[in-house]
Amino acid sequence: MLGMFKAMRQTLRHLPMKKVTVQYPEERITLPARSRGLFRVVIDPSNGEPRCRSCTLCESNCPVQVIRVNHTSKYRLPVPNAARISEARLAAQQGVDLKDLQPVLDEFYEHGTGLIAMLQDAQDVYGYLPRVALQEISLQTGVPLSQIYGVSTFYNQFRLSPVGEHIIDVCHGTACHVAGAVQITEALEEELGVADGKTTSDMKFTLSSVACMGACSQAPVMRIGDQTYGGLTPDSTRRIIRDLMEQVGATKG
Amino acid sequence: MTDETTTPRPHDDARNVSVGERPGGGWTVKVCAGTACVFAGSMAVYDAFVQEVREAGLADQVDVSIIGCHGLCSMSPVAVLSDDTLYGHLKPRDVAKVVDEHLRNGRPVERFLYKDAQTGERIRDWHDIGFYKAQTRIALRDVGVIDPESLDEYLARGGYEAARTALTTMTQEQVIQEVTDSGIRGRGGAGFPTGVKWKFAHQSQSDVKYLICNADEGDPGAFMDCSILEGDPHAVIEGMLIGSWAIGAHEGYVYVRAEYPLAVKRLTKAVADAEARGFLGGDVFGTGWEFNLHLKLGAGAFVCGEETALIASIEGKRGMPRARPPFPAVSGLWGRPTNINNVETWANVPWIIAHGAAEYNKLGAENSRGTKAFSLAGKLVNGGLAEVPMGSTLREVIFDVGGGIKDGREFKAVQLGGPSGGCVPASLLDTPVDYESLAATGAIVGSGGMVVVDDQTCMVDLARFFLQFTQNESCGKCVPCRLGTKRMLETLDRIVEGEGREGDIELLEELGSYVVEGSLCALGGTAPNPVLTTIKYFRDEYEAHIREKRCPAGKCKALITYYIDPELCTGCMLCAKKCPTVCISGEKKQPHVIDTAECIKCDTCRQVCKFDAVKVRSGDLVAAVAAACEGDEG
Repeated sequence: MLGMFKAMRQTLRHLPMKKVTVQYPEERITLPARSRGLFRVVIDPSNGEPRCRSCTLCESNCPVQVIRVNHTSKYRLPVPNAARISEARLAAQQGVDLKDLQPVLDEFYEHGTGLIAMLQDAQDVYGYLPRVALQEISLQTGVPLSQIYGVSTFYNQFRLSPVGEHIIDVCHGTACHVAGAVQITEALEEELGVADGKTTSDMKFTLSSVACMGACSQAPVMRIGDQTYGGLTPDSTRRIIRDLMEQVGATKG
Repeated sequence: MTDETTTPRPHDDARNVSVGERPGGGWTVKVCAGTACVFAGSMAVYDAFVQEVREAGLADQVDVSIIGCHGLCSMSPVAVLSDDTLYGHLKPRDVAKVVDEHLRNGRPVERFLYKDAQTGERIRDWHDIGFYKAQTRIALRDVGVIDPESLDEYLARGGYEAARTALTTMTQEQVIQEVTDSGIRGRGGAGFPTGVKWKFAHQSQSDVKYLICNADEGDPGAFMDCSILEGDPHAVIEGMLIGSWAIGAHEGYVYVRAEYPLAVKRLTKAVADAEARGFLGGDVFGTGWEFNLHLKLGAGAFVCGEETALIASIEGKRGMPRARPPFPAVSGLWGRPTNINNVETWANVPWIIAHGAAEYNKLGAENSRGTKAFSLAGKLVNGGLAEVPMGSTLREVIFDVGGGIKDGREFKAVQLGGPSGGCVPASLLDTPVDYESLAATGAIVGSGGMVVVDDQTCMVDLARFFLQFTQNESCGKCVPCRLGTKRMLETLDRIVEGEGREGDIELLEELGSYVVEGSLCALGGTAPNPVLTTIKYFRDEYEAHIREKRCPAGKCKALITYYIDPELCTGCMLCAKKCPTVCISGEKKQPHVIDTAECIKCDTCRQVCKFDAVKVRSGDLVAAVAAACEGDEG
């Protein structure tokens, strides 16, 4: 009896109050700016196209993993600054023969190799990952180009621009650092006339730094092609690289 | 150290083993083909041995073969003869002498033997060298003993017997119990009990389960996993086979760094050999058990050593860690229960099954049982691969195994655990090497990289080096790790450039604590460790850089100048000849002078000088200016 009166009182009290519900979908309320809702891609009002570039950053960062990016962006990979590309590089870029990619794709169809293995194989073929090859892989496998780009920029091993004939890997592990690897790189930079990570303009040498090679007792060490050198000093490094430059007829810069 | 009388010494077994000893007498020559020795030219030494033996007409009495890392990398390239003679620093042209003197006439060649740094005595038998004496090898039991490319040699050492025992006579629960009882903890760094991990994966219900071997050894200065894979790949395969039975997985992956081409090559061969003999495949030991092993090559990302990132990488995605739970034991590779262990952990498993958990449990410290392999590098007399019982002190590892500091210099600190670890100073040298004791110092056991530095190493520069590494390798998912480490690196850059400000040390400490707290995975969670521990133990060096603009170790380029001591300079003109910027002047037999304005501080002159006349000066000029300013004010 008492409970019934209590309930009636509650009802009567709320009758004159303002309504908290709305007659959705006829009526809609304006939500505060930071309220949560559903995701949707922002449309650029100027051209009516989505602003999303399928960079997959939201996909990989979502803590509850509810986002899937599965469409290839119509945006292309960023074009390197054309003014800075030397003749030699352009020639190399044009010389991409997609026929060489066929065995890599065959391997994918026959054995179901993963994306990373496929990119590694493609890099073995070309020495780097040419854009056309990545586009071809995307087309043939159905893996969005955005995802391929994401993977190929994530791992240190993949290169998106052509490299020189000879790759100089200077070890920068702890032991090599303590033993003076920085001075080795500096000596090479000076002899080759290029910065670390760059290729000489005649496409003969690429200078790069790598993490530990596991030959710590020989520190500092470097590897040029299959040849390995240990116990280096800036002086011996200069001698090695000068000899090699002479051998292959490379010029500085 | 553990009691000699009760402790099994796997090394003693190695003495009696018949592997490689020629049945009809004669000699075996084993040339080390570990990475360090290959770098030092051991393959040319191997070729020289083959050729010289043939030319000497001893081809029917001498077998020449290769072995995995023998351990004493500072002597590389190394060759071991069947009478346990260890020769080091061999050059192809020296081989003829060894063949003639030792193999033909039985006289060891003194000058290639190990020389004790203290006594100057030459030691012939490698078992008598301090470096090996202080070790107990379990994970490395066959590394440097057998030919890594020969399955027969592994079988001759009792290989695959443990797996046979486990698969044919033990239940899955028994195997897990045995591993749990042994007390072994994950050797990859985190130190999670292996048995417990297996139990979780075993209990997860699923039709498909996976097994992964984490061989993505990214720590700079660590090469244990590399050496195990190169020296004894079958031990890892056998360990995984036992694990597959215990957990119920039929598919396994080895995720190995592409930067280790030799390890990849030998592992590929080992897997193929094991498949051919039926140790892998559809019907292992005739029990009907199926286990297939696949190799996955990493593509150069440090963060992929983290288990969830590694799984993402195997799936072909960007190697970014994710939040746990769900743990891989519940939802791992392709969403199935997955068990991940490190190379060294897997290599220990067959030994534990073969010798029993109790034997393994006898070794080690209270909560850290067994042994741990370390790679000793840096300014040590004996650098290389070493395995010691857990609980040995750092002093034992560095001075007994490592033989102390090179060139009679002073021990300054030991860097443990790579970029996730920390620096332990001389005052804490008696810290036992176990998970808890090292964590208390701010360092970690980590994967086992131990880099010893002497008084010529600048701790600020070392901290900066590690931070630069982790900053580069941060996957970018968590803001504190991506930007926090960047800001810390900028602060450190400022300090080594001589532009450090008051309050920078406190800023580093504050930022460091935020990065530790706000990161999802262990990379960010431990990235500030090298900075925080060096601040903790070498605060005075940071202060010298900031306040006095002085680098006590004489390493930070912006804070040093080179000069030639006129007393010591003999005027040999060598430095002037070698100087790349031609900034050294002086007449023959007259003291030389460096033009400091032109000097690029490349250190060449100091390294080539035979009389130690080229010196590095830091801070005194600045100090003099500061003193003058003070004088003005006074």
